[in-house]
Amino acid sequence: MRDNEVYKKLAILKKVVFAIVIILFLLIQVYPVFWVFMASLKPTVELSASPFSLPSAPTFENFIKVIKEGKIWGYMINSVKVTGGSLILIMALSSMAGYALSKFVSRFNNALYSFFTFGIMIPVQITLIPLFIFYSRMDILNTSFSLILPQVGFALPLSIMMFVSFFTFVPNELIEAATIDGCTPYGIFVKIILPLAKNTFVTIASMYSILIWNDFIFANTFISKDSAKTVAMGLKDYVGAFGNVDWGLTFAAITISILPPMIVYFALNKHVTAGMSAGAVKG
Amino acid sequence: MKGIIKNKVAYLVFLLPALLFYLFAVFYPIIDSIRLSFVSWGGIGPQKYVGFDNYIRLFSDSVMWESFFNNLVYVVIVVSMQLLIGLLFAVLLTYMQKNVTIVKTLYYIPCIITTVAVGQMFRSMYATQPMGLFNIVLSALGLGDLVRSWLADVDTVLVAVSLPEGWRFTGMYMVIYYAALISIDTEVSEAAIIDGASKWKTLWKIKLPMIKPVILLTLTMCITGALRGFDIPYLLTNGGPGNASELMSTYMYKQAFSSLQFGYGSAIAVFIIVESIIAVIILRLVGRRGEK
Repeated sequence: MRDNEVYKKLAILKKVVFAIVIILFLLIQVYPVFWVFMASLKPTVELSASPFSLPSAPTFENFIKVIKEGKIWGYMINSVKVTGGSLILIMALSSMAGYALSKFVSRFNNALYSFFTFGIMIPVQITLIPLFIFYSRMDILNTSFSLILPQVGFALPLSIMMFVSFFTFVPNELIEAATIDGCTPYGIFVKIILPLAKNTFVTIASMYSILIWNDFIFANTFISKDSAKTVAMGLKDYVGAFGNVDWGLTFAAITISILPPMIVYFALNKHVTAGMSAGAVKG
Repeated sequence: MKGIIKNKVAYLVFLLPALLFYLFAVFYPIIDSIRLSFVSWGGIGPQKYVGFDNYIRLFSDSVMWESFFNNLVYVVIVVSMQLLIGLLFAVLLTYMQKNVTIVKTLYYIPCIITTVAVGQMFRSMYATQPMGLFNIVLSALGLGDLVRSWLADVDTVLVAVSLPEGWRFTGMYMVIYYAALISIDTEVSEAAIIDGASKWKTLWKIKLPMIKPVILLTLTMCITGALRGFDIPYLLTNGGPGNASELMSTYMYKQAFSSLQFGYGSAIAVFIIVESIIAVIILRLVGRRGEK
């Protein structure tokens, strides 16, 4: 009898330790973000006096200041332009190329596919100097296009890979039948292939909307004018703008800027994680 | 890939836009970087061909070597955090019956936040004025002696700029490993348990070997990712103090865009690519030897 009780207690202890470990790690992963949200609701004075307590009287003062100061809207609009433009191009170009590589007869298909997927291994840093030189010659530094071009280029390999692997599951008989019914290759793409690939589109769009929105390295290299800055750069900018870092305002700006990716993430969670995992595993 | 449509014009219509974009945004810069690595150029005037001068300078540049070794330390810290902690928690999650989805979702949050925000968060946590989270926790644990400005101290700065990057992607690798672990055929591990193997043994002898391909792939991605690490060190310290947290990419960036030595910067960029490719090849060889 007694042994049995000891065993039971041990089992409970095990469960408790397990739960503590899981929650501790959860704290480490989530607390910094939660803390930024909390901190953004505190006046700067309280923030430096008691940084880790819950806000005694939550205030939107920091948010109001950031919004009134106004720059953040311009940054957000630029980010929307870059992210939106890139997404449209990524989805159009990669679905078309995926269709060409998987559903057309050509002896170049395998070589081209390898050529595209080779890009997954290439570090983005390699493009910075050549593109910077090219952009300054063409006088297109500080434009949305200067960011869209490398974003699309580096998103194509994985996106094409995902479309190809999906399209190979679409039976050729379907296309054959449509051809016999008089459908052109363009018609087949629009009427049959695209509707089937809805999931792949959502995966690619959700993943890249977050990655492109968050980009720092391209924006930091190709953008120097305030009028062309994206929201990620704006956060860095904020710090300088107030001399001593005004953490209250910075945290409010961070909160505003991470809301869009958060919304996409929580709405399309499965797609985001699936896409990013594919990105990490298929190299 | 067996296609069926035999229309050459349509083939080109569908393929060319992506191909052109890719050629211009990814392929042309690689070629141009290689070309630039053989010239000396300050941004204006003619580009002067200098042969292998940039590479000779690269191998005799002490800061370059310092960045290289810093980068190795950075790789070790980032990779061990992301993969070991990621794997550990993936394993723990497989023993969880409830709430797995919500825990997974929350663990993942750091990797959807922009590096600039991550940088600012850690900057405030490392600070001494006002006391940041790290220092407060240390004091609370009775380790007040360790309190310092982590980013200003030459001895701690490299670790301090590596941690955020490790932290950021731990959740992602955990999700990948978790997916791999639960896709293992349960019959195999159940059979082992019936044969008297302990849970611990089943994990080491059966489950982990079965997800070895995934581990090798993530190791490759993780190492090549860390070899080109840039955002967080650049944002937190820009390589300083001195060159104590300089990585290859931040050094390349400085050479090109602060010192305007586009030729030398390109040579470093080419070095980073070559280094990544060598790492990939080594890992593939190791993987293949393991299979025999």
